[in-house]
Amino acid sequence: MLKVSVISPEAVLFQGETESVIAPAYDGEIGILTGHAPLMALLGDGELRLGGGSGRRFNVSGGFMQVLNNDVRIVTEKATVAG
Amino acid sequence: MAKGRELKGRIKSVENTRKITRTMEMVATSKMKRAQDRVVAARPFANSLTEVIANLYTPELAESFPLMRQPAAIKKAAVILLTSNRGLAGAFNANLLKEARILLARLAEQKVEPELHVVGKKGIGYFRYIGRAVASSRTDITGQPTVANAAELVDGLIQRFGSAEIDAVYVIYSKFNSALSTPPTSQLVLPVTPPERKGPQPDYILMPSAEVILTQLLPLYVRNSIYRALVENEAGFQSAQRTAMKNATDNAGEMLNVLRRTFNRARQAQITQEIAEIVGGASALQG
Repeated sequence: MLKVSVISPEAVLFQGETESVIAPAYDGEIGILTGHAPLMALLGDGELRLGGGSGRRFNVSGGFMQVLNNDVRIVTEKATVAG
Repeated sequence: MAKGRELKGRIKSVENTRKITRTMEMVATSKMKRAQDRVVAARPFANSLTEVIANLYTPELAESFPLMRQPAAIKKAAVILLTSNRGLAGAFNANLLKEARILLARLAEQKVEPELHVVGKKGIGYFRYIGRAVASSRTDITGQPTVANAAELVDGLIQRFGSAEIDAVYVIYSKFNSALSTPPTSQLVLPVTPPERKGPQPDYILMPSAEVILTQLLPLYVRNSIYRALVENEAGFQSAQRTAMKNATDNAGEMLNVLRRTFNRARQAQITQEIAEIVGGASALQG
């Protein structure tokens, strides 16, 4: 399982565990599964999807994603919960 | 019993004032709690950003970022001063203005030309009073500052710093350590001082590269420092107002005690006097 947190300046929008993360990187979508190597990626505009049980979606614009030891952190100035 | 009536009037008026200050205290308390929550909520973002910049930063890279440029000589500096729109908060604004004066004096000593950006009616009023021109002033930042507010404040300055028009940017605000400790602070936001890295640099896959990522993140970092300053300042203001109103309520209580005592003594004196007169009158009749 991946520990995921979605962080905006005003609040932590999501914190929990999911099986996968699909994030809109600056040059296209990028998928993260358990055991991913440490990664730091710039994000572009698009939909962030947290797979597995929760299946949450967020619209993000800019910011970055950090993956380190199964800990995924999405830090962005603009993030809103999508349907 | 003219004096008694006068005292009664004053007691009434102090009681009413105490009611108002007590209400204001309670309002400020609840607002302070919410502002405090926002300070706490802003922390994860700031921490993550700081951590990442610390992880990516290497001294060799510093040269290539306009926002980390260390000017050889500082000629012009922008000072963002955050104050509140409202008063009744004790020495809150006075402390901030004092901090501003200290910083401006220090800059003047170093032959730096300061440029003032003032937020909040209290700061604007002060500089108008001493007749000092400010570069920009705004009063529309409410009790719930947003990232957009921070961006409006600092984006222009980031650009001008990048093009070497100004050489430093300071922000003066009240740091919110706790509800009881909100010292006025002046913080250098530009050039960016790279945060210290804890532990070894993790071996990241970088997409696209450390340089590009940092170029994107540094403005975010600067904006976030301003956002935090706004949020902490608001929390500091509410807690200062709460303390001021609590003191006012306590003082009103003490004043009431003294007034009531004086009133009772006056009433008792009058009764005593009346009895003495009656007794005197009765014994005069008997005699």
